[in-house]
Amino acid sequence: MMIEIKNLRKDYTMEMVEVQALRGVDLHIPVNEYVAIMGPSGSGKSTLMNILGCLDTPTEGQYFLNSVDVTLLNDKELSAIRNKNIGFVFQSFNLLPRMSALQNVELPLMYAGVEKNKRKEIAIQSLEKVGLSDRIHHKPAELSGGQRQRVSIARALVNNPGIILADEPTGALDSKNGEEIMQIFGKLHREGHTIIVITHEQDIAAHCRRIIYLKDGIIHSDTLTKSNPINL
Amino acid sequence: MDFKENINIAALSIIDHKFRSFLTMLGIIFGTASVITMVSIGEGAKIQAIAKYKDMGISNIIIRDKDMTETDLEQVRMKFSQGLSLRDAQVIGEIIPGVVDVAPQTEKKIDSRFGDKSAKATLIGITPSILKILNYQIAKGIFINNDHYNRQLKVCFLGASVSHDLFGYENPVGQSVKLDDQWFEVVGVMQTKSLFTETVGELAARDLNSDIYIPLSTFTKRIAKENRFSSELKQLTVKLENSDRLEQSAAVIRSILNRHHFNNNDFSIIIPFELLKQEEKETRIYNLLLASIAAISLLVGGIGIMNIMLASVLERTSEIGIRRAIGASKVDIMNQFATEAVVMSVTGGIMGVLLGITLSLVISFGTAIHTSLTLYSIFIAFGFSVLVGITFGYLPARKAAELKPVESIRY
Repeated sequence: MMIEIKNLRKDYTMEMVEVQALRGVDLHIPVNEYVAIMGPSGSGKSTLMNILGCLDTPTEGQYFLNSVDVTLLNDKELSAIRNKNIGFVFQSFNLLPRMSALQNVELPLMYAGVEKNKRKEIAIQSLEKVGLSDRIHHKPAELSGGQRQRVSIARALVNNPGIILADEPTGALDSKNGEEIMQIFGKLHREGHTIIVITHEQDIAAHCRRIIYLKDGIIHSDTLTKSNPINL
Repeated sequence: MDFKENINIAALSIIDHKFRSFLTMLGIIFGTASVITMVSIGEGAKIQAIAKYKDMGISNIIIRDKDMTETDLEQVRMKFSQGLSLRDAQVIGEIIPGVVDVAPQTEKKIDSRFGDKSAKATLIGITPSILKILNYQIAKGIFINNDHYNRQLKVCFLGASVSHDLFGYENPVGQSVKLDDQWFEVVGVMQTKSLFTETVGELAARDLNSDIYIPLSTFTKRIAKENRFSSELKQLTVKLENSDRLEQSAAVIRSILNRHHFNNNDFSIIIPFELLKQEEKETRIYNLLLASIAAISLLVGGIGIMNIMLASVLERTSEIGIRRAIGASKVDIMNQFATEAVVMSVTGGIMGVLLGITLSLVISFGTAIHTSLTLYSIFIAFGFSVLVGITFGYLPARKAAELKPVESIRY
């Protein structure tokens, strides 16, 4: 999955005030990149992530995902991309509280049209990958923060997407659990996934291969890290 | 993501919120139940009305001597009218085409007595042919026959409730009862007839089960007139071959009798078939009215569903956002919520059908109101409740589908 963004702009009105969240972003993220997007609040990093994740559409500019201009796709096609090509991991986990861990992980498979009896098998494999095969029938409320985040990573992985989009994945976790989550991302990166992490924590970003620093809606800096030199 | 799966999701969500879902369905339940109950009450009334007029014979014309005070009667007699008479019966039978039979009858209020028991009754003098004309059903013994009639015998045929009042569960046939001051032998008992609860023209509301029938010949010979001006007969029942020309025949009868009674207007003519048609028309309007009132409650039930569904969409904004993020399209979300509304209204509809059937049975057995369940009312009520669910589920479902994933996921 290769991401190519050209002159991306996003304006929106918030309480009668025009906000220019992104003011011309050009970005290229090759396959199997491990990148952190940083920046102060209001820098446009969440807006960028929403557009990258096909949850939102840009006001202007082009976004090619594997050479397909996603700004031209309809709702159904965008939903299919979110389902199969992108896995989301959120700060607040965003699991459905009434469903067990297993059922939560099965959900993307349901929208992908996978047969009911095959879903369980695939979902369990995904939970095993994040080291949570023993608590699959627990509801989110019965799991710790770190475990919940691992369930949500399992959910993001279940359709084997090229891209994992993580929005402050360690923001609600203590440093030990945060470290474990980053270990999982490292492993996924080595397995070939493209990983994009949005964070404002320097030591989280240090796990990545590349750091993009956003400020006032434009890319301020785009550097490779020394601490995690993985060759492509 | 197939239909069955959507139903499963909807069912789970409803079960998760049992009490709230039940409250939501309540409107549909009562709406459906009231449509079924109301229609069954209306149908019951219709069937009763039809039965009543069928008892009077749908190819019959009934001519009644008007009830008048002695003074009024004297006036009429002074103007040469003799009131309803056997001669009228004879003339009608001869002149009107298509007349099968003319059955004359007289009436008088009397006290009946057996042992220490007594009952108020209407004594009716009849000819044996009335049995067929008015379709009387015999429960025990025999009806008054030609032999009784010709020999002017003191025999009587009891209505069901008189028989019960005087004899309880004993068999009255062969026993002697005292009617006013004379003894009559019981030859038979009539089956219970439906109550005649409203006055139709000169046919006053009365309990046909408290009638006692004796031969007209015996009546004329033995029973004293109510007063010196009383007419010879109280009623003529004219049976025609069919019900095609009832109104024309009735008009001819009216003009003949007017002439014979010197325009004293001392009789009235009742055509049961016409009354039946009128009643059917009235009950149809009445039923429609009942059903519409019930349908309004179904509509209110639908608004209830919409209300709760809108609240549920708001409450589940974040769930919608999550589902959208992991791959649900607008159509998927729309289907999810619409299915939930439909499942709720179908469930409510089924429960309402059961409640409606129960209610109309309870009303039928527990009260004097007769009900009649009809398949069409069940289908209409159920179909309407599903329609209401789809209609009022659409808007919230649409609202859910149109939520922006970006905004809803952070809700």
